[in-house]
Parts: sequence; structure tokens; C-alpha cells
Amino acid sequence: MKQFEYTIKDPIGIHARPAGLLGKKAKEFEGCTVTIEKGDKSAAATKLMALMGLGVKCGDTITIKVEGGDEDAAAAAIEAFLNENL
Amino acid sequence: MDYRKCASEILAGIGGKENLVSAAHCATRLRLVIADNSKMSKDTVENTDGVKGVFESAGQIQIIIGTGTVNKVYDEFIDLAGVQAMSKEDVKQAAASKAPIWKRILKTLGDIFVPIIPAIVATGLLCGLLGGLSRAFPDISEHYIYRLLDMFSNAALTFLPILIAVSAAKIFKGNVYLGAVIGMIMIHPNLINAWSVASGAETTTLWSWFGLWNIQDTGYQGHVIPVVIAVWLMCKLENWLHKHVPEMIDLFVTPLVTVLVTGFVTMTVIGPVFAQIETWVLTGAQWLITIPFGIGAFLMGAAYAPTVVAGVHHMYNAIEASMIANNGQNIWMPIATAANVAQGAAALAVALKTKDKKIKSMALPASLSAFLGITEPAIFGVNVRFIRPFIAGMIGGAVGAAAGSIMNVYATAYGVTGLFGFLITMDCTAGYLIDVVLAAGVAFAVSWFMGIPGEAKNRSKKSEPALAVAAASADNNAAVSEAPISCEVSEKDEDKKFVIASPVKGKLIALNDVPDETFAQGILGQGAAVIPSEGKVVAPADGEISSIFDTKHAVGITLENGVEILVHVGINTVEMNGEGFEAFVKEGDKVKKGQKLVEFSIDKIKEAGYKTETPIIITNTDDYASVEKIADDGDIDALVDIIKVSK
Repeated sequence: MKQFEYTIKDPIGIHARPAGLLGKKAKEFEGCTVTIEKGDKSAAATKLMALMGLGVKCGDTITIKVEGGDEDAAAAAIEAFLNENL
Repeated sequence: MDYRKCASEILAGIGGKENLVSAAHCATRLRLVIADNSKMSKDTVENTDGVKGVFESAGQIQIIIGTGTVNKVYDEFIDLAGVQAMSKEDVKQAAASKAPIWKRILKTLGDIFVPIIPAIVATGLLCGLLGGLSRAFPDISEHYIYRLLDMFSNAALTFLPILIAVSAAKIFKGNVYLGAVIGMIMIHPNLINAWSVASGAETTTLWSWFGLWNIQDTGYQGHVIPVVIAVWLMCKLENWLHKHVPEMIDLFVTPLVTVLVTGFVTMTVIGPVFAQIETWVLTGAQWLITIPFGIGAFLMGAAYAPTVVAGVHHMYNAIEASMIANNGQNIWMPIATAANVAQGAAALAVALKTKDKKIKSMALPASLSAFLGITEPAIFGVNVRFIRPFIAGMIGGAVGAAAGSIMNVYATAYGVTGLFGFLITMDCTAGYLIDVVLAAGVAFAVSWFMGIPGEAKNRSKKSEPALAVAAASADNNAAVSEAPISCEVSEKDEDKKFVIASPVKGKLIALNDVPDETFAQGILGQGAAVIPSEGKVVAPADGEISSIFDTKHAVGITLENGVEILVHVGINTVEMNGEGFEAFVKEGDKVKKGQKLVEFSIDKIKEAGYKTETPIIITNTDDYASVEKIADDGDIDALVDIIKVSK
């Protein structure tokens, strides 16, 4: 399992559009489960509603866990996505 | 602007009219489905005078031209391309079904057959059992109970065209009762039963069709393809009439004309053409099996199942009857048996290997019935749908038939195949056993190792929308969800579908008309959109608020049935930071249908320079087989049903 942290820089946080795009990115890696954690709450990256329900805002630090499949590639791609969009 | 020039340049840019599948337009865009995207030159289209932009969405090429001009370019375009005008829905369907035509035809045949399989399995098994019993104990066939059961056993097969017609009418979205009428016409008691004709009953020529061919008074018992074609034609005609006949007289004109025209064309053109094809097949089959050294039997063993698909197999009784009359040795039956048990074994492999309960529960009885000689459920319900098991069955059939022929296996009667065939092959039981075992073994092995495509193996949740959806889902989410889910949407499945009401009042539009790629392409999920006329979002059903942003522009609701809905007021309105929005609920709140969730100011959104299109997205679209917009574009009130979600 790969795990890393990311602090949200986007002023609005994970709202609908970035959540959808993040989910789409996570789905690109077959057999790979991507989980986003904030505090004691967590959500699968592909579950849009749960992801938005985390209420991730600017300045929040989230933990990203990538498990199964091509973890390295998936983790790298998701980190790149976060840097670019959030 | 020169509309015709614009249209002709676009046509050239997409690779000519040969590459065009269908065309439609909306308020601003020309929406095309083309056969081969690689043949399109996007630059050419983009550089055409009058074209403001080109992009691909949901399997469609969308060419932005603009209000007021798009319809004129469209008129020129369809004139140049020589295509029929299509509604937007038609285009979407064409996009959804971009699979090769033969695959779609096979899938449609499967979809038509699946709902009637219980009927065929029940009577087919009974038929096989009775056939076997009467061979073993010839005396019982005189008994009253036997005759009664015999009647039960052939009811479904005798009236098969009606069952098929009803199911086909459902699939082709016509009136099922009119479909039934077409089926009834084709097997009307005043016509001579096709099975009797195959066994030598006399027919009369009713009419010489404009001197071109003769119309015989033969019924279409046991036929599949002519019925499907007839009902397809009927549904097209019926729907066309519904659109064009004034409403006042629609109720009596449309059914009358539909039945009249379809019935006439069916009995005088479709039917006779098929009768002719059948004769050719019969002649071909008779010639084929004369090739020595088992080669002819090998070829026929392979070709047998496809002829069942074509519905011409009932003619083979004639071959068997003449063999018996000739020298008492029916060498046809071992070939038919090999082909039948092979299809059964191929379906059995699917049944044992698939994890999909629905497929499993259908494949098992279908396979059993094939071993007893009734192959339609296995062929149409299972093998043809996944294609590879069908081919596995053909291979097994060929091997078994060749072996039977080399060992000179013959039957001394006809009418039964499969396991009951042992009763009429007493002279060569060992050979017949090898015939059966080889055919079944080879077909089972081939089907097991190469026959079961991924979607049959893995689909556990999305069981119903068979090939098209599963095959397309990887690359084209939007088109997939719009694919009409034709199989098994019967009343008893009601609990697997949910209809979602609109949370907003306004003008309903398709999701891919939303002027934002992320929403339009369905990246957040499928659904619909409303251009609000009233600044209020209400709960579309009882549920719980799963998320509401600080900016209050979007609210997520999880309904009691598990459907997750995101209502996103306006496009990019997140940037308004809540200005003009007021929320009346918070995360975790339970809400009742119709309860006010958010109020917003349409004017403020417009003043701030944002679009008000409000996507209504099923965010867990992936959990369902389909999410479809079911209401037509146009003004709607809040709480009008707009989206159908099917499991």
C-alpha cells in the first residue's frame, strides 16, 4: 500500500468538479483502491458523494492511500493531479 | 453565410457520407455519429466557415454552429448526405450502439429470446420427456394423460411466433398486442402448419405475387427470424404513424394501417423470401451430408446451430423422413444430436464458470433442455449472446457429427435427438454414445477455456444490460447510460428501477447540452439538467443530505433507495462564494420529498456572469446498469419524473 499526505491549496477545497475529476483519475487504475482520509473520516476516491461529504477545505491535510494494482503509478498520477488541481 | 457550402465542407471533413451513421441537431449544434472517427479530419471541420467549434462527446461528434443557422446547415447537410432526419434520441441510440451490426443483431435476438425462455424450457423439457417415454413404452402414447401432456408440451413451440412477436414488439418499442396479432397471422389455423408441410402435407398456391413468385398457404410455425423482421417493421411503421397521423384519428388509423401493411408485407414478401432461403438451405444440407469420410457430417455439424438461429431447422424433418423411407437409416439424427448436445455443453460451461447468478440460473436449465433436444434456450439465451460459446458449440457439433458419420451411426426413427436419441439408435448404441460424448466434451472444453468473455464472468452487479453496455463501458460512459435497457424490464423488475423527480422547476435539457465539458461528458455521473425558472432546490425524494458546500451552490442527497444525487446550481458558481445562495439544510439532515433545500437568485447568477444550467447528476451511476433521462426536453415543474435509474 502506498500512502502520502497532501495539503489542499485550492481556495475552495474538494468541491464537485475536482471531486469528479479525482474520481475519474482513480478509476483509470484498474484493481487499485484509492482512499482519501480527512481526520477520522475516509472515502473511496471513486465515491463522489462520500468524497464531497468529507468537506475538504483549503488548508486541510488529507491522507491518500493507494492499494492494489499498479500502486506506484496510481499514487504518482494522483499526486500529480492534486498538485495541479487542488 | 453559404449553408450548403458549410454543410458540404463538414461532410467532406467527417470522411464523406459513407462514414456518416446519423445526424441530428439541437439549438446550436450539429450532432453526428460517424462510423470511423479516424476518417474524420477535425481541422477541416473546425476551419469550415460557419463552424464555431467541434468536440466529441458521448460517441457523438458535436459541431457548434449557432442558433438560427444550425437548422439551415442541417437541412443542407442531410440533403447532401442523403440521410433521414433523426431525432436527438435516435442519434444517441445510434451512438450507444456503435458495436458492429452483426453483434447488435445477435444481441437483439438474445434480448428477444431471454424473456420467453421459461416458456420454451418448460414445454421443451416436457416435449423431450414425452418423446423419450413414448419411444421406450410405445403403448403409453395412446393414453389420455399422455395425449393431454403432449398437447401441453408442444403449445409453446406451436405458437412460438406469437411469443416471439410479443417479446420483439417490447424490444422494438411497439404495441405488444399488435405484435401478437402479427404473430397470430403468421400461424393462423387457416394456414397449413409448417411442420406438416415439412412432413409432406399439400399446400395450395393462394396467389401469384404480381407474377413474380407464388404465395403458398403455409404457416410460419417454428420460425424465428421472419417473425422478428416482421415485428421490427411493424414497430417502425407504428411509431412513424403515431408521429404523422393527426391525433384525432390516430387511435383507429394507426393500428389498422400497421396491421394491414405489416401483415401483407409479411405474408407476401418476408415470408416467401424466407421460405425460398429455407429451400436452398435444405438442398444445401442434403448435398453436404453426401460428402464421404465424415467431412460432410463435420461441416453439417458445425452449420446446424446457425441454421437453428435462422429458424430453418424444422425443415430437416423432411430429410429425416425421406431417409427412413429410403433405407430405414436416419444418418441425419446423429448430426443433429451432436450439434444440439454441443450447444448444451457450451452453455453448461458458461453456467458453471460464470459468477453472474442471473446468467447461471438461465444457462443451467437451458443446457439441460439442449441435452434433451430443445436448443433454442441455450442458443439464444446464452451462447449467441456471448458468441464464443456458440462457436465452441459449433466446433463440438462438428467433431461429434464427424465421429458419428465415420462409425456409421444411424437412427431408426426420427423426432427426438440428444439423450433420448439412445432410444432410436439401439443398433449402434456405442457409436451414438461416442457421438454424444465427443460433441459435448469438445464443446464444453472449448467453451470453458475460451468461450466465456470477461463480462459474463465478472459482472455480478450489472447483470442485465448484456453485451453492448458492458463492452462499451470502458471508453464511453455517456453513451452507455443512454443505451435503452431492453432486456427484462418487466413489471416484476419494478423494484430494480427508480424514477427520480426533478428537484428544480425550469426547462429540462439533456446533460450533454450543459455548456461545460465535465458535466456534459458525464465525468461526475449521468443524469439530466434543468435551466431553472424558479430559484429553489427541493428534495426529489426522501433521503439524507450527504454534502452541502459552504458555497451552497451544490447539494448532495442520498435517497432512501441508495441513489446519490448531486444538484449543482449553475456552472462554475462555486466562484460566487455563496453570494445569492441560501441553504436550509445541513449535512446529515433527513429530508422529505419536496422539502426546500436551497434557495438561489437566478438574477444574481446571471449578473455575476455565470450560466444557470443546473446539472442533476446521479453520482453513483457506476452502481447501476443504466441512468436515463426519461422526460422530453422542455418546461417542467419541480418533482416531475425526469430520470430513470435501473439496476
